[in-house]
Amino acid sequence: MSEQSAVPTTGANSEFWTGKRKQRFWRMIQAILILIAAFIMLIPIIWIFLAAFKSHVEVYQLRLFFTPTLENFGTVFEQPYDLGAKLYNSTIVAFVTVIFAIPIATMAAYSFSRFTLKFETTILVVILATQFVPAVVIILPFFIMFRDLGLLDTRIGLIMVNLAIVMPFAIWMIKGFIDGIPLDTEEAAMVDGSSRLQVIKNIVLPMAAPGLVTASIFCFILAWNEFLFALFLTNREAVTLPIGLALFRGEEGDLWNLLSAAGIIIMLPMFILALAIRKYFVQGMTMGAVR
Amino acid sequence: MAEIRLNNLTKRWGDFIGVDDQSLHIHDEEFLVLLGPSGCGKTTTMRMIAGLEDPTAGEIWIGDRMVNDDLPKDRDVAMVFQNYGLYPHMTIFDNIAYPLKVRGTPKADIEPRVKKAAEQVELTEFLHRKPKALSGGQRQRVALARAIVRTPKVFLMDEPLSNLDAKLRVTMRAELKHLSRQLQITTVYVTHDQIEAMTLADRVAVMRHGVIQQLGTPDDIYNDPANMFVAGFIGSPAMNLINGSVQSGMFITTGGTRLVGIGGPDRASAILGVRADDMSVHDPGQGDIDVTIYAFENTGESTLLTVQWGRQRVIARGDRHLRKEQGETVGIKLNPDHLYLFNPDSGDRIRLGDK
Repeated sequence: MSEQSAVPTTGANSEFWTGKRKQRFWRMIQAILILIAAFIMLIPIIWIFLAAFKSHVEVYQLRLFFTPTLENFGTVFEQPYDLGAKLYNSTIVAFVTVIFAIPIATMAAYSFSRFTLKFETTILVVILATQFVPAVVIILPFFIMFRDLGLLDTRIGLIMVNLAIVMPFAIWMIKGFIDGIPLDTEEAAMVDGSSRLQVIKNIVLPMAAPGLVTASIFCFILAWNEFLFALFLTNREAVTLPIGLALFRGEEGDLWNLLSAAGIIIMLPMFILALAIRKYFVQGMTMGAVR
Repeated sequence: MAEIRLNNLTKRWGDFIGVDDQSLHIHDEEFLVLLGPSGCGKTTTMRMIAGLEDPTAGEIWIGDRMVNDDLPKDRDVAMVFQNYGLYPHMTIFDNIAYPLKVRGTPKADIEPRVKKAAEQVELTEFLHRKPKALSGGQRQRVALARAIVRTPKVFLMDEPLSNLDAKLRVTMRAELKHLSRQLQITTVYVTHDQIEAMTLADRVAVMRHGVIQQLGTPDDIYNDPANMFVAGFIGSPAMNLINGSVQSGMFITTGGTRLVGIGGPDRASAILGVRADDMSVHDPGQGDIDVTIYAFENTGESTLLTVQWGRQRVIARGDRHLRKEQGETVGIKLNPDHLYLFNPDSGDRIRLGDK
């Protein structure tokens, strides 16, 4: 240790563990704990990452050094797996869900935030409460309804389901951000000559932008990862990536190398998104929380 | 430019009365200050004029138009908010230009007008910055510039100086006064700071519990308060209020001291109001009453003597060169021309010489 203490530390043990020293010690412990936690969380991802570049035989050997191959990424796009179609479905479903969810949720959130509505709290709680219902419980009614409407195994059907899933989160999240915009600012804009719509367009949307981006990503992730409904409501045409994973079960057992390659294809957009908008994400999260 | 008329204006939220059936006529080009403690209805009154709050009853006229049903944007007013209400995502230029842009001013007109407004509040060099890069005082100037960039019928200012530090508040106050004289636009200014009210106003409306207690020039309000509330609210230090009674023309304190002759009929109980400035400090025996000093304070420009007056404490102002010690005895003389008598139950002023 190179630091010099103004207080002599040659005395008893209790003198040694004072002030700054103690603080620094706990900081170190914290850092170590965080590293351990991060490592535990990363292990499966590292494993998948390695397995995706291994051959079927190598997967079962826990070797860190091997000759990587890109073959798996080719195979998953070929028949019978045809991951390309699933990737297309997932992309369409997730994007369209977000494109519809965010504007609608923003309008709802603004109303909840700025107007006094009848039964406002009740409505807000009910919106959230829809999320407390286990998906398995409502999947059968959904199935029958969609069958009668001819929406089974269609992307439109999946988009509708996903909208139902992401809307409550989006509304609550965006409401938090709009609540954080000072009312003074909006009122100033109104006195300055804006109509309500101009206030929303010129003031609220730009100021809530980090929140909207955060909510968009959140909704995209929810829709992208959605498994249960897609499993029940699709079988051939509208199958999404998470369901596609189940294809890699052959007679010879689970094809871990292919599973891993597909897994990486599923995760990749998440990583790219997270990196691209990291700034917004953190800013957004703190802004919503602290206010 | 326009006058404002409030006719029997009322604002209620459930059982809570914000503004209670008040009428007020604000003249063209007048600077009117709404003064009162928090919760007295002054801000509510202003927000109703701006259209940010709907009155429960009554009429609001700006010029020759009743604006009750007009949206804020159609009332042609400009407002400065306590927290400035700036647009944090826009540059200072865009902040100031916003009222022009949103009202469809031709592009060629916008720049010179923004520049002129920025010049008037000395902000020219900051136009490209964002609000968060400015200090509190500078932000306040942006809010002002945004208000003066158009020529609205009415200026509304909601405690615009209250977020500034004490020193800045004094300089901004002078700038505000200078600007308002220059622009000559009807202004309604809300504050709880009586010095701001005294210095800026053409007329002051002192409010309490949603009711205007007194409407008058700063001189009227200071020298001729309508009731005990106004007397106690205006002036620093606040007017001394001494409990006692009137017997054969003399005011007698609760402690039994015969204080000063004020005339009028006998009253079993009354409150005498006297300002610190209307008491002079003398040697013991030379004044109306001898008192001991409870605390002696030197403010630099004058001295303040808190004296024990029977069971009450009273503040007198002394000469800046006066030096006294705690516990000393001094004589205090009251200026008989500036004594006020109040009814202790209602708080109403009892005019001396009234029957």
